[in-house]
Amino acid sequence: MAKAIQTVVIVGGGSAGWLTAGLLAAELRRAGSPNRVRLVESPDVSPIGVGEGTWPTMRSSLIRMGISETEFLKSCDASFKQGTHFVGWLQGGSESYYHPFTPPRGFSDINLARHWQAVRKQVPFCDAVSPQAQVCKQALGPKQIVTPEYASNLNYGYHLDAGKFAVLLQQHCVNRLGVEHLLENVDSIENDETGDICALHTTTGRVVTGDLFVDCTGMRSLLLSEHYGIDFKDMSHLLFNDSALAVQVPRTDESEPVASATVSTAKEAGWIWDIALPTRRGTGYTYSSRYTSDERAEQVLRDYLAETSGLEFSQSCAPRKISFRPGYRERFWHRNCVAIGLSAGFVEPLEASALVMIELSAKMLAELMPPDREVMNIVADRFNVRFGAHWERIMEFLKLHYVLSEREDSPYWRDHRDPESIPARLRDSLVLWGYHCPWHGDQAQVDELFSTASYQYVLYGMNFHSEGAAGIAQADPAAHKRAQNLFAENARETQKMLAALPPNRELIDKINRYGLSRV
Amino acid sequence: MARFEMLNNVEHRDVRIRTQRSADTGDAVQYVVTFPLELRRAQAHYPIFFQKDSNTGQFFPIILLGFEKGENLFLGPNGWEPPYVPMSILRGPFLIGYQSNPEHPDGRQAVITIDMESPLLTSAEDGQPLFLEHGGSTPYLENLTELLEDIQLGLEMNAPFVGALTENDLIENVTMSITLNDGAERQLLGLYTINEDRLNELDDAAVASLHKAGHLQSIYMIMASHSHFRAMIERRNAQLREPATGLG
Repeated sequence: MAKAIQTVVIVGGGSAGWLTAGLLAAELRRAGSPNRVRLVESPDVSPIGVGEGTWPTMRSSLIRMGISETEFLKSCDASFKQGTHFVGWLQGGSESYYHPFTPPRGFSDINLARHWQAVRKQVPFCDAVSPQAQVCKQALGPKQIVTPEYASNLNYGYHLDAGKFAVLLQQHCVNRLGVEHLLENVDSIENDETGDICALHTTTGRVVTGDLFVDCTGMRSLLLSEHYGIDFKDMSHLLFNDSALAVQVPRTDESEPVASATVSTAKEAGWIWDIALPTRRGTGYTYSSRYTSDERAEQVLRDYLAETSGLEFSQSCAPRKISFRPGYRERFWHRNCVAIGLSAGFVEPLEASALVMIELSAKMLAELMPPDREVMNIVADRFNVRFGAHWERIMEFLKLHYVLSEREDSPYWRDHRDPESIPARLRDSLVLWGYHCPWHGDQAQVDELFSTASYQYVLYGMNFHSEGAAGIAQADPAAHKRAQNLFAENARETQKMLAALPPNRELIDKINRYGLSRV
Repeated sequence: MARFEMLNNVEHRDVRIRTQRSADTGDAVQYVVTFPLELRRAQAHYPIFFQKDSNTGQFFPIILLGFEKGENLFLGPNGWEPPYVPMSILRGPFLIGYQSNPEHPDGRQAVITIDMESPLLTSAEDGQPLFLEHGGSTPYLENLTELLEDIQLGLEMNAPFVGALTENDLIENVTMSITLNDGAERQLLGLYTINEDRLNELDDAAVASLHKAGHLQSIYMIMASHSHFRAMIERRNAQLREPATGLG
């Protein structure tokens, strides 16, 4: 009889640790499992707190954990995110496009991208198929004050304060979900005779035993990397960014509009993120140290801040430097240890993949919780296959943003288009997409991280021409007619949404005052 | 557009109020707001639901009068039909307003205001006068003042009532679908009512607390009031049978 899995020990207390603890503990409770979840957190290490944009998946994660949306929004200083606004990615000017969260109209059964090819010069793809870009342009919210918690008029995720989010999750996990919280520094890790981890020894002499250990220790990767020596796949030949300078911009005007999309502005050797919360904006320049100096990068960020936040602030602020190696582990689950969060891998936050990868990892762990040590090997294999594929896809999808650029202003942008730096699968996909607009059938697996809609929004937002697809669309008169109807419907829907949705700022203020109702 | 003025016996000396109710007097309304104080009387004649305030998302109880905007099935050719007229209708063109007054403990004082654009205003002899010859209030105005105070008090009780209900997850969304005799179908969206399953699951402490606050009675009044929904469909069907007047 193999050893039963009864105690899960999570090491690390940032977003990764507490999200994993919350999703795991909630699922175990639902299943009536007696298993325990313990979280060991160093009192001396502060979380890096870089993941401040979520996907719409966060709504189901919060629901699973039993957290009220009103409580979440209030305590995390959170706001609504409806997608990403990419500025200057194509030519380096003020040209821009949106990657909204709401898929194109009729997306389950008709590929509107095909039918849009004929009018690609007249109307931006995102505006032809969804109201959301226009809604974002006017900084409107994705719902109304009468819309119940977690329900939406347009699909949305969040912008949040990662530090406050970890605190909310911690309180919820400890007070409501029965997670045991230990504030201890790990001194050493003890293996049993088989080579599995059996205990952590802390600096105060405490011994924390467990059957499954989750490494949420951030880039350090204490368990998977330092203890087990699992190799890291460096991806800097593919995605060049390895540094970031981050600055938080406090709001001086409480009535200022709150953007409901992340703004990503391409610069000479990287890009600047701009994440709007009600009380501050989180901004930062992520760049490649191979193509620019820290001094020059700081100047680029200060210039951006001078434009968006005033000269005085741009000169007085003190950016915080973060260095990272883009890439991910050879495998994520080794023996009885699984890495979730930055310990598993890290890339520039271009499509806000950090939090969603934590959510998906924790969800898989919770749903396939191995009952004993033998079954754990099966779950570990599947976990490694799935998340290996997710990481590959993140690399490809992020790279796509650079490959489609027409910028010629720096070696950084030109080198990004060097075929040697492009993964083979992405090169093949680009050839294929010239003839066929991305569609459900050409995804490699059923649980793909990025939906076909995301590929469409980025490709056609960046002027990609699926020349071969227009002919296919014209050959089918019934589908052509349906598509024209959907375009017209979308135009009407856009007007309706613009009239009915409140400014994002007003919505957040009202939620703080009245709350959202559960029904 | 409504235009409210503070009521006074000089400017409004000759104003009279029509008491006969009709579509012309602005009473063809689909619903009116109500409150716990009125539920006992209202539930004897009308179905009561909740709606959300479009400005705040907060629930408030309503008396349902029609199936679509501008339809009031309780308004007949000879005026209001049921013997009990909702307080929000009886108040007519009057509302309580506030005037700042530094000597008042709240810093403001409640005053009666009148909508000068209301179709209920008249100078005809059959209207009810507001003021006596030498400026005193008529019994009609005195009753009305009392009514307005009751409404004000009643509305203030909605927040604690609704708060107790939402705290216990006792409000649920309900879509009422009706088919009329002529085959026409109507769907009433945006209505909410008591979640009876959830009510039945409440533990003793929660029930006792609702009872102590007087909410339990209100909850059952609202549940009982839904039997009038059928009567509303019959009223609508009866209108279908009556020959339309003035139309070819």
